[in-house]
Amino acid sequence: MDKMILAKNALQKFIDELLKKNKVYAPIKNDETVLFEEIKKPSEMTLDYINSEYPPKALMLNQTETLFKYIPGTKGKIEPVNMDEDKIIFGIRPCDAKSFAILDHVFKSDFEDPYFLTKRKNTTLIGLSCIEPGVNCFCTSFDDSPASSKDLDILLTDIGDKYYVEVFTDKGRKLANTASKLFKPATESDAKKKKDAEKKAIDAIKRVQKTENIAEKLDKIFDNKYWKEVAAKCVGCGTCTYLCPTCHCFDIQDESTLTKGARIRVWDTCMNPEYTLHASGYNPRPARTNRVRNRVYHKYNYYPKNFDVIACVGCGRCIDLCPVNIDIIDVVTTAGEVKP
Amino acid sequence: MVDEKELRDLVKKTVKRDDVKYVVGYEKGTYGFQVTPCFAYKPEDADKFVFSPLCVHNLVVFPMLEEKPPLRKGEQPDSRKVGVVVKGCDSRAIIQIIQEKGLDRDKVVIIGIPCTGVIDPKKIKAKFPGQVKNVEIKDDNDKFAITINGKTHNIAKDELMPDKCLTCEYPTPVLYDILIGKEIKSNKKEDYKKVTSFEKKSLKEKWQYWEKQFEKCIRCYACRNSCPLCYCKECMVDQLDPQWVRRTVDVSENTAWNIMRAFHLAGRCIGCGQCERVCPMDLPLMELNKKIEKDIKELFEYTPGINAEEKPLLAMFKPDDPEDFIL
Repeated sequence: MDKMILAKNALQKFIDELLKKNKVYAPIKNDETVLFEEIKKPSEMTLDYINSEYPPKALMLNQTETLFKYIPGTKGKIEPVNMDEDKIIFGIRPCDAKSFAILDHVFKSDFEDPYFLTKRKNTTLIGLSCIEPGVNCFCTSFDDSPASSKDLDILLTDIGDKYYVEVFTDKGRKLANTASKLFKPATESDAKKKKDAEKKAIDAIKRVQKTENIAEKLDKIFDNKYWKEVAAKCVGCGTCTYLCPTCHCFDIQDESTLTKGARIRVWDTCMNPEYTLHASGYNPRPARTNRVRNRVYHKYNYYPKNFDVIACVGCGRCIDLCPVNIDIIDVVTTAGEVKP
Repeated sequence: MVDEKELRDLVKKTVKRDDVKYVVGYEKGTYGFQVTPCFAYKPEDADKFVFSPLCVHNLVVFPMLEEKPPLRKGEQPDSRKVGVVVKGCDSRAIIQIIQEKGLDRDKVVIIGIPCTGVIDPKKIKAKFPGQVKNVEIKDDNDKFAITINGKTHNIAKDELMPDKCLTCEYPTPVLYDILIGKEIKSNKKEDYKKVTSFEKKSLKEKWQYWEKQFEKCIRCYACRNSCPLCYCKECMVDQLDPQWVRRTVDVSENTAWNIMRAFHLAGRCIGCGQCERVCPMDLPLMELNKKIEKDIKELFEYTPGINAEEKPLLAMFKPDDPEDFIL
């Protein structure tokens, strides 16, 4: 692993260097909303943010994705779409990067999803440590750190007047080499500064979710009236799932006119009654109680059972933006205490 | 400021009634400036009830969200009343729904609270970022007294109130069964300042503005689901056959959704501002609603949600209605 230093005033040059040969996606500010979008020059991006409102999963699993195009009718034909080209996501938080690794399990288990996996393969992740975590950040509840390196190619950490740069993969090394003259080797004191910044960030995270043996605990309370209490105030919108970096359900539709069409997939949400509605009219999750419970179980029971990892990274988006303060930290912690 | 003890006692009394299923009010939230809807099924549940300037939610959405699962053979539907704690603006939603026959007047117990203005969650979060612990806020005449870590900040109300409160004409619930505290008269007037200044822009500028906004929409439908007046059994965006709005999330379909949402609320929106409050992408939805509200006021001299006996605007006809739009 390579450890280097990038002066803050050299960051712009580094991005310029990246932009020469690559598509670069970075956090940009659109009014008050921060989103990951393609940038053409470094000045478009903002690094002054906690979490983007819209998770960067949208760059791997687009909210609307064309699977193929077609011309309808007897003489119709199918046109495949161009698979994504190489890209760099700059400034992604370690928690959002972890969400990609969590999503990998689904998209390469029973069936290898070419759309997701091609994008994953072609994307280099340059992370930015979260040195000032948000109110509802709780990545530490999963033994992660706001300056975690696990799922990134390169990680930048703000250590005052410079960035501490860690390169973890060959993909990352290749990129760093294109701008090697901008980097200087890191000293022991720089490494210490990074450690201190990380510790300060960890200490700043105040909220804790108790997830010990949560999968087994949930097994015992599936029919508990607790879920009815949690769901009573849910209004049934899709904010929590759409903004969740690990929610990945989608719906497939053909959208066509008389002369052209496309098969698309769009994000779906288990909060929507239509989500499990059968063609027969039967709905196995007819009430909001069933649907709210499903969101929790998918993340804290089914996923750990299937893939040995909790499908939550602790970014806090669903808590920040729920219209009625359904708080996953509270919901799961209390669920662990419910008597079966 | 409302006496919380009086509120809890009244809620207890209401829940005890044989003909009341539950009362929905507010309780403390899980962090910072959060207050959250709370359901009292038993008298002791009411001990959690609070009322403060953080009680922004319009709880009238809950009786409208009630699910009616299929009944087993011989089972009778639970037709008891639902109690709702309402502020002035919220009460107008009930009136509007009663007008539309979406709700029976005798199926709700309305617990009214004269409101001295609430706090815009986005504004207070920006002013005091990083609040993990629950914060206590009291109403102090023209100021909000906000106590954080033992220190009290007195902030002028105008600085933290949402637009709807700055021009609120109905602080006291217009319809109620029980009123907690004294009636408040408003000397404010809706002046449609934002709408009027926007109207002066060119068509091109208007489109540019709204295209940029609609582009951000992620179609989570938080605006619809938090709106007490969006209570269609099946929303037109969910229909598949025919499919009025495509599932594709792009500026064209998002525009269709947002314009249709606003139009379906024409003459019905009572301006509680829930849609805008809950929008995760910060779309200024009230600007659309207010434009339509203003047009309707000017054309038909009609204000929704004021009189439960009146017919809804779109069910009325007067021979002298303006017909300028008919070519």
